Amino acid sequence: MSAFSWWKRLLDRFRGGPVGQHNIEEAKGLFESRYHALRLLLAANTRALKSMAEMEQAALSNSLFGMSFVRSHCTAVGVSVFKMVRNLDILAPERYSLLFERLEQIQGRIDDELATIPAPTDVPYILPMEAIAHSHSEITGSKMARLGEVANVVGLLVPSGFVITTASFDRLIATNDLGPEIARLLQTNQSDTLDELFVLSSNLQQLILTAEVPADIAVAIQGAAAEIVDPVAGTTFALRSSALGEDSINASFAGQYESLLNVRPSNLVASYLEVVASKYTPQAMQYRMQRGLRDDDVAMSVGCLEMVDARSGGVAYTGNPNNREDSNVFISSAWGLPKTIVDGRFASDLLIVNREEPLRVSSRVVGNKNTRFVLHPREGVRRGKVDEDLRLRPSLTDAEAVAVAGAAIKLEDHFGTPVDVEWATTDDGAVVILQCRPLSQSAEVTRAALPPDAPPPLISGGFTASPGAASGIIHWVERDVEALSFPDGAVMTLSQPLPRWAALLDRAAAVIAEEGGVAGHLATVARELGVPAILGAGPLVGFENGREVTVDATGRAVFPGRIEVLLEGVEETVAAVPDNPVRQTLKKALAHIAPLTLMDPDGLDFKPTNCRTLHDITRFCHEQAVREIFAFGSDTSFPEYASKQLHYNVPMQWWVLDLGNGFKDTVKGKYVHLEDIACKPMLAIWDGMVAVPWDGPPAVSGRGLASVLFQATANPALSSPFKKPYANRNYFIISKHFMNLQSRFGFHFTNVEALAGERPEENYLSFSFKGGAADRERKAGRARLIGALLEELGFATNVIEDVVTARRTNLHQDDVEDGVRVVGYLLMHTRQIDMIMNDPSAVERYRTKMQTDIRLLSKN
Amino acid sequence: MTISVLLVDDEETFVQTLAKRLTLRRFNVYTATRKPRVFETLSENRIDVVLLDVRMPDLDGIEATKDIKAVYPLVEVILLTGHASMEASLEGMKMGAFDYLLKPVNIDELVYKIEDAHRKKELQEEKIRRLRDQADEASGDTV
Repeated sequence: MSAFSWWKRLLDRFRGGPVGQHNIEEAKGLFESRYHALRLLLAANTRALKSMAEMEQAALSNSLFGMSFVRSHCTAVGVSVFKMVRNLDILAPERYSLLFERLEQIQGRIDDELATIPAPTDVPYILPMEAIAHSHSEITGSKMARLGEVANVVGLLVPSGFVITTASFDRLIATNDLGPEIARLLQTNQSDTLDELFVLSSNLQQLILTAEVPADIAVAIQGAAAEIVDPVAGTTFALRSSALGEDSINASFAGQYESLLNVRPSNLVASYLEVVASKYTPQAMQYRMQRGLRDDDVAMSVGCLEMVDARSGGVAYTGNPNNREDSNVFISSAWGLPKTIVDGRFASDLLIVNREEPLRVSSRVVGNKNTRFVLHPREGVRRGKVDEDLRLRPSLTDAEAVAVAGAAIKLEDHFGTPVDVEWATTDDGAVVILQCRPLSQSAEVTRAALPPDAPPPLISGGFTASPGAASGIIHWVERDVEALSFPDGAVMTLSQPLPRWAALLDRAAAVIAEEGGVAGHLATVARELGVPAILGAGPLVGFENGREVTVDATGRAVFPGRIEVLLEGVEETVAAVPDNPVRQTLKKALAHIAPLTLMDPDGLDFKPTNCRTLHDITRFCHEQAVREIFAFGSDTSFPEYASKQLHYNVPMQWWVLDLGNGFKDTVKGKYVHLEDIACKPMLAIWDGMVAVPWDGPPAVSGRGLASVLFQATANPALSSPFKKPYANRNYFIISKHFMNLQSRFGFHFTNVEALAGERPEENYLSFSFKGGAADRERKAGRARLIGALLEELGFATNVIEDVVTARRTNLHQDDVEDGVRVVGYLLMHTRQIDMIMNDPSAVERYRTKMQTDIRLLSKN
Repeated sequence: MTISVLLVDDEETFVQTLAKRLTLRRFNVYTATRKPRVFETLSENRIDVVLLDVRMPDLDGIEATKDIKAVYPLVEVILLTGHASMEASLEGMKMGAFDYLLKPVNIDELVYKIEDAHRKKELQEEKIRRLRDQADEASGDTV
């Protein structure tokens, strides 16, 4: 350094200026970097709060969402909070480094909540039926575990066979590297509409169908089959899905996954892939969504059971599904394979067995059974005509019915719950149990009396597959193309109630089908979802698309138009179980995200180590960022970056710090005049504050005034709300589009922050208000009033005790300014009304006056 | 000044469509669908912002971010992905990515992010320029 420049710098320092040009530029550069960091931090704050609000709303609502919603929102919040911490680190290098550590810890906890339940280790790829008990449900799925128990513990006859366990599924997914691709497809593809769901389903199934079954698993499958196959008898297999979570109470998955019948041993491996791929049929995906089941938790195991060439088959319920007081055994039966019954398409017999000993058939309705399913000579099953002389003959003798009912009651006793049993009889009269799951039952529903002027029903009769009543327009569904155009809230009208149409149940008001009975899969799912359904109603003549009808499933009738009296008291269709696994996961994750525990920015505990949730971190970052920005303005010796006192006719007790372009021109000296301000939100709030003259404190009773005065002297918190010097004054921190206001109006502590830029997605207006001089009850009353007024204006508000927080996001510039103007008005006009909060008529008077003023204030 | 963007993704159609839309928004767009082209393009051109798919057959986006930031610390990277995994996204951010965007991309949101990333780069460049000037001045003083 030359002697001259050394001397000049010393002189400058001694004189206190002027400062070197490069120092000014450095300060300017630093300031701009900080402002940019603050802006990014605030944008991240807005995103984090928005995602949190969406998650909280979903947790409380009855809406449907899957794990991809939970994961993507956790990601969005996590990334936003990380950005806040990183930008705070730019504002205050290394001062809050502990936040990175806290963030990592909290995220670790969230990850734990989202983690898939770890698969058990050392699980065999194949388990023979004779080795399976109920305790194996984690590796064989409940359906096969229960069937193993039926054979090995209860001692009833079940087909020989084996289960390809979840370990095989996990290997299949891992060796083909399908996990990330499935997750990617689920995340990137919307399935809001049915056609999107069909495309996604097709892509996912294709992925699995083209995968390679690991060679050792293929060999194990063939080996297990070889032990059962009788080459002379030509043994074939039934492949039944047995996914984790399937067959549980209220989540039967009835008919939602694939079952393949009469599969030749040489085709077992390819057929295994088909059953696994059915995890992603549209109806199964929709069903999981409706039940709130986590996709990751659903590993698919597959039961390979020796095919039973059934003489007759069907389903037995050990109770009435529509009336849990009725404990008779209900048996649906048909000729041939039980598929005739569970598909719900064809006529069948219904037998009721009274369970009092000795068991006896108390009622029998014999259907005209013209169709049955039988084994195809080569592979698969085919539909065949029933011989004329058999059609009207019972498909089950009384003795067989009693044997089926006896077996079902035995299973109910063993499992301790009413059951739904799929069975078959063989030519030699044996009863074979093919499946057993808990039966979901509802209380008996009584129908409201019809009004005298009710029109005659369009049809009456059929079976109540699911009780209740609903109204909507008729929409026939016979093919996929009609399913794709299914309108929300329509009445699904079918000739055959196929299980695949379950994918539409969350959109349907009710179901009517010409054929089918209570034991079909679609009936089971309709009951679970609470969608009223009449099946087996006979020809639906006059049911044109678009015609409005009221389906009275309880009374087994369909009326033209809307019959209000039938709909009254009927609850809305409950599509999702209130606390399903996905919602539970969301709530668990939210516990580490949403609660705000770091309340007081001036409390001793306001530090990074005390941030318990991601919300706490956002709060901490936001508060510190504003303080850091302010500190920079105060600590630097450059007047351009120091705050100015606001001059509005006279010097006011307001200071203004410009972050950039908040003033129209460079402001020299210590004052800034209102006309120098370019910041639109600041001008708007000022506008709101002065728009309506304040008529002074409202008239109060002597007691009200005494309370205010007492609080003012007795409440130490009112003397100084903040310990940091900047907060002892009223401050605006502004740029052209941004304003942060910290202020004390009398005894009230206020923070208003607004961003009104050109990006509506990033714009917001937040407001918090606390304190007052009255007692707790009146302060809380005032907080509720402010909260209610802001809520009417579209703010998301939260009122706890005397604290109001309110926020609006995603706003056009003009709307932010309008909102700020209202907030300015409220700041001035609610400051002392806590004194009259115990006088309801005065409160109402003020509320009405303020509502009128607010309407006049809006410029847009 | 026009902002130069390098768009890296193995899905040709996606790259072409997005490149066209960004060009309409007055960005100078380079594209790469394979790993070798990424560093070639970076070395041959003045790139401000890289838009990088997290998952490509021959390229791990998170590792690539680390590599790009190691050689070109001022170039900002925005990760594009369809897989919302908290771990992956945060990993990318920790490697120095500016931000993270889920596919399908909202063009307005992407443009904002590119502009913000570019502004950050500009501020850093200015800072470096100032430091260099000061260093020059200091060395001039000692002469």
